[in-house]
Amino acid sequence: MKEKPLQILLVEDNAGDVRLLREMFSKERRDAFQLTHLLRMSEAETHLAKGGVDIVLLDLGLPDGHGLDTVRRAHAAAPGVPVIVLTGLDDEALAAEAMNAGAQDYLIKGQIENRALPRALRHAVERHRMQTETDLIRTHQMQFKDEFLSHVSHELRSPLTAVRQFVTILLDGLAGELNPEQRQYLEIVLRNVKQLHSMINDLFEVSGVQAGKLKIELQCASVSDAIAYTVNTLTGAAAAKGIILPADIEPALPSVCADPARVRQTLIILVDNAIKFTPPKGVVRIQTRIFEEDPAFLLVEVSDSGCGIDPDMTERIFERLFQASDPAAADHNGLGLGLYICKDLVTRQGGKIWAKSTPGQGAVFSVTFPIFSLPKLLAPAFSEERQTERPITVVVTELGSQTGWLSNEVRADQCRGIRDLLRGCLYSDLDVLLPKMDSAGPVELLFIVAITDGIGGEAICNRIRKQLDGSEHLRQAGLTHSTFYRPLEAIKRNSTESKEDFLEKVAIDIQELMSKEISARQVRNG
Amino acid sequence: MDSRKILIVDDNADIRLGMHLRLKANQYETFFAADAFSGVAEARKHRPDLIILDLGLPAGDGFTVMERLKQIPFLAVIPIIVVSARDGLGNQKRAYEAGAKAFLQKPVNDAELLAVIRQALGEPAGTKKPTLYDQGSV
Repeated sequence: MKEKPLQILLVEDNAGDVRLLREMFSKERRDAFQLTHLLRMSEAETHLAKGGVDIVLLDLGLPDGHGLDTVRRAHAAAPGVPVIVLTGLDDEALAAEAMNAGAQDYLIKGQIENRALPRALRHAVERHRMQTETDLIRTHQMQFKDEFLSHVSHELRSPLTAVRQFVTILLDGLAGELNPEQRQYLEIVLRNVKQLHSMINDLFEVSGVQAGKLKIELQCASVSDAIAYTVNTLTGAAAAKGIILPADIEPALPSVCADPARVRQTLIILVDNAIKFTPPKGVVRIQTRIFEEDPAFLLVEVSDSGCGIDPDMTERIFERLFQASDPAAADHNGLGLGLYICKDLVTRQGGKIWAKSTPGQGAVFSVTFPIFSLPKLLAPAFSEERQTERPITVVVTELGSQTGWLSNEVRADQCRGIRDLLRGCLYSDLDVLLPKMDSAGPVELLFIVAITDGIGGEAICNRIRKQLDGSEHLRQAGLTHSTFYRPLEAIKRNSTESKEDFLEKVAIDIQELMSKEISARQVRNG
Repeated sequence: MDSRKILIVDDNADIRLGMHLRLKANQYETFFAADAFSGVAEARKHRPDLIILDLGLPAGDGFTVMERLKQIPFLAVIPIIVVSARDGLGNQKRAYEAGAKAFLQKPVNDAELLAVIRQALGEPAGTKKPTLYDQGSV
């Protein structure tokens, strides 16, 4: 089979080096290689963007590009094309760094053997092709597995729902009174159905974890509510084993910046595990406090009086499909996905999760969530390079529904998509789209804090209106929208004031403005 | 007060029976249809106070049923709750446009279904027999 000539792009400004390299290629068959030579990185970028190049020979000292930066620029211009770096004898360290930055290989000028160069290029291209192919196959396999898992768990859910429905119908006495024995057996069925259900949900979730797309929408959330929900949900399971489930909830706990549904999910997995691994008549305790080691975080601890964990295992238990080998818990085996899901969720909300245990004396699982702080969220907008007295504008987007029948779940889903849209309408990535803090009845309010004047504010509004008008997503969901801006009185930072104090002041003003907008709608909507 | 009448249109017999038992226990009278054609016929015959409608049906689909009902003045006013395994905002939006009062995604638990029925019929909460067992999230 006749091969196509290899298209080589040589980017080199030293005429002597170019001549040498050209000479080496001149000894090869004419149809084997085709060499294009350019002097500057900017020209190379344009050429690469057009496509058709098989491999790049790149000098690291060009008139308009130097060092690793040139490698990165070459990759950015043509992501799939392998790069071989040309360096001087004294620059091998730089060459090694270039390899780390994504170069396929390096050649030292003056040490390139005539016949070796074409071979090196052929090999580099081949190696690169194989690597790309392997990556692609792996991606496809993962994708297939995720789709398969997602499909299977979806299909398993329907018949299981019917089982559950009829068991509850019997238990509720809708088909006549049950005798105590019948009731006891049906409760066993229900317990197992619920367990199966949660395993299927785990499977469904984990297909999302793998793809890194478990949805998380950060907002101002209450950990106390999540604890109350968890205790409420699991009191029955604990009582069945004679386990007490005390929760010390401090009333004045600060809110956290997290996804409330995900906080609940995490706590349920932890407490449910604790109940499983604690012998009858034990205690599972939930405690919270400000994290001593970093007061910007809230700490939640779930401790049990169970069998404990081997200290060597306290990290491995968060791995996927890890199973406890404890025979006492053998009849409670789940899929070994719970803690893995927890870790993914907690980490992606900016927190940490870890376990400590003394075997035989129970285990303590600790989770941290970042404490909600408006000044901290605003900080990027006032970073040093923008430390000015320029005006602050708050852009407000209001979403309403025509039907008023949207469930909270659906609403959360839709707002997520719209938040992404709004993020794309910002002029500077330093402007801040605030997380959801409060709901104003049947409407949703989204706030953007931008450092700009009224003209800039109006420009952002126009971009948002245009985007939302054209949003298929919004149209399908039957949502209405309106966007406007509110200028904030310029707040001057005096020279003696720390940045923290200044941000605190701005945050108070913004908070006030948001409360005003929210309460105006609550009044309007009764 | 006479018990309110609910028509269940779903091609899955298990689901029809399960809903019937729940609704009966909450003092609703139930009627059934297993396809789009008889869905309209049964509605004409019994004039229910509410219709629970699946979207995937033989002889048409849920949308066909809603379209036909809309053309018959005394049936056009009946509130419809769509309960479907079909995914996506597209179906939800289409259902609302066709006049559905609510859209529930299967699997639905009984507590949720009863709450939506009460809302659609304008009945105050807590007037019916609560379900003791099927309140957990599914």
